[in-house]
Amino acid sequence: MAVADVVNLLGTNPVYRKRHTCHHVSDPEPARYGTLDLPLPEAINAYLTHSGIQLYTHQCEAINSIRAGKNVIITTPTASGKTLAFNIPVFAGLDANTESRALYLYPTKALSNDQYITLKTMEKFTGIPAKPAIYDGDTPQSKRAAIRENARIVISNPHELHQVLSWHAKWSPFFSNLKFVVIDEAHRYRGVFGSQIALLIRRLLRVAHFYGSDPQFILSTATLANPEEFAGHLVGRPFTLVDADGSPHGTRHFVLYNPFYDGIGERSAHQETKDLLLSCVKGNLQTLCFTGSRKMAELVTIWTREDARRTSARLADSISAYRAGYLPEERRKIEQQLKNGEIRGVVSTNALELGIDIGSLDAVIIDGYPGTMISTRQQAGRAGRKGGESLAVLVAQANPLDQYFMHHPDQFFSRSHEHAIIDTENPYIVSGHLLCAAAELPLREEVDAVFFGSSFEPILAELAESALITKTPRGWVYAGRGRAADAVRLDGMAAESFRIMCHGRLLETMDRNQAYREAHKGAIMLHQGETYLVNEMDLETHMIRVTETDVDYYTQPLKEVNLRIIKTLETREINGVKCAFGDVEVTEQYTGYKIKKGDTILGVEPLSLPPLIFQTKAFWLIVPGNITTSVLAAGLDLAGGLHGAEHALIALMPLHVMCDRWDIGGLSTPAFGENSEPTIFIYDGYEGGIGLAEKAFSLLPALFSDTRDLVRDCPCDKGCPSCIYSPKCGNDNIPLDKEATVKILMGLALLPEKCETIECLTGQEPAAP
Amino acid sequence: MQAESRIGALWQQRMNTLREYDVVRDGNVFGAGLTGTCIFSSEYDNALALLDKLRSQYNGVAFDTLFPGKEVSNEGGTCIALESQHALHTTTVDTDRLTQEMFADLTLVHGVGNVSERRLKARGYQTIADLTEHPKFKTAARQVIERLTRADPDDVMELVGTRHAKSHPFALGTAGSFEAEDYVFLDIETLGLFSRPIILFGVGTIEQDHLIVRQYLLRDICEEAAALTATVGQFSSRNPALVTFNGKAFDLPYIQDRLGYYGLGAISRIPHFDVLHFSRRRWKGLYSSCRLSLLEKEILGVARSDDVPGQMVPEFYETYLKTKNCGPLVPIVDHNRQDVVSLAHLFFYLLGETCGCR
Repeated sequence: MAVADVVNLLGTNPVYRKRHTCHHVSDPEPARYGTLDLPLPEAINAYLTHSGIQLYTHQCEAINSIRAGKNVIITTPTASGKTLAFNIPVFAGLDANTESRALYLYPTKALSNDQYITLKTMEKFTGIPAKPAIYDGDTPQSKRAAIRENARIVISNPHELHQVLSWHAKWSPFFSNLKFVVIDEAHRYRGVFGSQIALLIRRLLRVAHFYGSDPQFILSTATLANPEEFAGHLVGRPFTLVDADGSPHGTRHFVLYNPFYDGIGERSAHQETKDLLLSCVKGNLQTLCFTGSRKMAELVTIWTREDARRTSARLADSISAYRAGYLPEERRKIEQQLKNGEIRGVVSTNALELGIDIGSLDAVIIDGYPGTMISTRQQAGRAGRKGGESLAVLVAQANPLDQYFMHHPDQFFSRSHEHAIIDTENPYIVSGHLLCAAAELPLREEVDAVFFGSSFEPILAELAESALITKTPRGWVYAGRGRAADAVRLDGMAAESFRIMCHGRLLETMDRNQAYREAHKGAIMLHQGETYLVNEMDLETHMIRVTETDVDYYTQPLKEVNLRIIKTLETREINGVKCAFGDVEVTEQYTGYKIKKGDTILGVEPLSLPPLIFQTKAFWLIVPGNITTSVLAAGLDLAGGLHGAEHALIALMPLHVMCDRWDIGGLSTPAFGENSEPTIFIYDGYEGGIGLAEKAFSLLPALFSDTRDLVRDCPCDKGCPSCIYSPKCGNDNIPLDKEATVKILMGLALLPEKCETIECLTGQEPAAP
Repeated sequence: MQAESRIGALWQQRMNTLREYDVVRDGNVFGAGLTGTCIFSSEYDNALALLDKLRSQYNGVAFDTLFPGKEVSNEGGTCIALESQHALHTTTVDTDRLTQEMFADLTLVHGVGNVSERRLKARGYQTIADLTEHPKFKTAARQVIERLTRADPDDVMELVGTRHAKSHPFALGTAGSFEAEDYVFLDIETLGLFSRPIILFGVGTIEQDHLIVRQYLLRDICEEAAALTATVGQFSSRNPALVTFNGKAFDLPYIQDRLGYYGLGAISRIPHFDVLHFSRRRWKGLYSSCRLSLLEKEILGVARSDDVPGQMVPEFYETYLKTKNCGPLVPIVDHNRQDVVSLAHLFFYLLGETCGCR
């Protein structure tokens, strides 16, 4: 009942009502139970009966497929019992063969710890000797040998695996008997990082093959638009998909909340979030609030507590922040207090979207669109105890993506999930892993080509020339002076690193692109919530010196981009517009930076940095004559229109392709190339390309229509951060012309909006605001 | 420029920034921090000067002229073995005295600590044999006697290691089970701290009172498998005992790793005397470090000239690979040979001091 009251409050309270944009209700779903093809070992049946667990349809489907020897990807939502769905067949396998081993990979320490406890509990209750153990950077030296020899389920993470593979001789019993590899939260392995992981998995398979084993893979991910394709690219094997959720849930309310309903907004979105959190807690709903950063999580907690103190000290104390960075004891304490109801409100960063065992709550508030539908669904999925009513609220920020959803709620609720991209052909990524592979076992063309794809041979030849690998009768042996697994970092590309030092202490490392962009001399840099001023950037030693600072201004770099088409690989015509995809050479040069306070520019300083030249993949479109004519005829600025369209396209690309703004770049000009055509380019911001422009190219008609809708329906006058202004524009958001942009986009998306296969969340019409 | 052609350069640049040692100001013993190793900047500069000198000195000199050796062929392929002979003073273990001492050490029995031993001796239990009469300790005592009588060196070392320490004189005393011909003195030079090729294997054996040092030097990386096989072949005599300096932590695991890399079988368990451990026990606190170079200077009176610091061996070898000038190899080979010789001398010195015949 409490949930309905709060929902009502949001709709009726005069302040809330204005911001309340849309309310979507989905009906409750009862549980659907399934049947197993093969009977489970008695011990597991006893465990299930004793725990009162009846298996849902998707769990049975997964168990059946896994026991039939298939590779399986499970994409049912959070809290649907995915963990049990893979633990059961793994335990059954370990029970059937006393030598079998399994490898579980988790992206964070917290998750590894949680899974360890789960496995140990299951081992105890079933009596099946699973012998789980965590093996990662924190495992003490004295315990390592015993784990390598004896543990049957090794819980680790990709970074540790990356190092461990070169020690495979010590893991011989493990690799010889490896039967299962379980990768949980696999959707995190996408983009550049995902491509590195994909190559790491190829190396794992190669080593396993050497010891005579061929393990089965089980992937557990959030819902994706392309699960089989993604899994296939990540592992290099075909997968069976399990996605129909059989777990029950109660009535779900989802409210879209826009503090910038009038375009301007009275206060910051974070303050609005604080009010909502307090209302929920006062309404007796246990509430979880997600914010975009650690600093914001702490701030919202502080503000909410301050406000709550006016009502009662006890209320204030019932609100807490939660971060994965807290000590395990602190985290356990908060989890315990959530379970027994002492804590009524928790504010966290996105980290919590990872399945840490805090159970479900009554309400979830999401402060700012987290960037992907996947994250949104995962965070919202935290609301709703078994069968209970639940509420999720998305509080919009003042940026194009968030505002787009607020003005097009039907798009939000029917939005299919993004595509997760993995590119196993990028030579910069592949080469690093080939070096590591050569250091693990001598590389042999005939045997190893199957693991590394079509780019194997040319890259191998190139590495050979650099003398890092030597040809011997047994294959290519790694002979570099540095250790391969140290030179190849899983996070980031093979670019030179710059070290950010503060008083001799290493803060972080950045690749050249990021360093030029965020840590040039004179830049104000943010790191873990603290502000720093860059004093010096030494291009030779790759060292950047910063000091803490307390200034109230920030900096923004100015960038000039030039582009050259190397080779067109594909062309399409969409609504009479010529579009193409291919190899380009991009020259980015940071020429200076703005010093800003709020929206005011205090000054501009020059920079003398060498240009960044790299080859990558891009898609581009040439605006046809009839559109340019209509723009010019109306006395509008063509360059401004192209520029605005470029910004808007980049802003909305993440709707379809899971990427970060920083992963892509753009260039627009009224006169490009020999024919001086008005062109817009969108390129991958990584040397060699990473598959983003490629995917977007295949989804262009939808991207055009969404972008048109965004700009056309924006209530602002001449353009605003919610539609065509880019907060990161290297040209200072000049020139921009909203009307021209709309005309161009209307021309690109000529036909009435035709969505690709829509998977409505529930099939219900959104309720009128 | 195609993407591929920049990749090689990119990785080389990255490799160059990964040095496994830090060059620090002279005298700064904290330079490397807790995890790294460091060399003093004067050492570093001297080494680079030496490298230059060698390159000009040996420019144009053929490998075979500089390193005349025997060609070796085995399942791993072919490689070259350089041989040298050295005088050696061996010592024998006074096994009688040692046995007496061991049987009189009641603390070797599980459950008996120093205090208990004093009490037991006061009550007339002078040897472990006596303890076989004791109601509480008789079973444990019998087990120890069985083990000491069987005198399996590995097993006795394990017993001593558990009850005392791995570096206890009794552990060294198990050398009594071996003849001079059984010992294999081993030292390797590698391209880094782990997972890179071993470029030189120094193996010393005793033949007719002389120390014969065979060095398997890689003319090219492709010879590593052959050199590995040749080295391992030397441990498979009747009753081998391995002697190393820090070999338990470095040389042996490293060799096992490279054997695994090439899919060659691992070395099965072999009695292993790590002279570093025994040296530490004997000389810790007396000298600033227990590095072999220091001990050989202080104890054996050996001085090296034009030596290459261990951490820079990879750089020297790489220069050889790149330029095909054999000069950089000279100090590596000399350094390694001297390591094996000093190792042997030090081993027998300690043996004599601890449990040798008086």
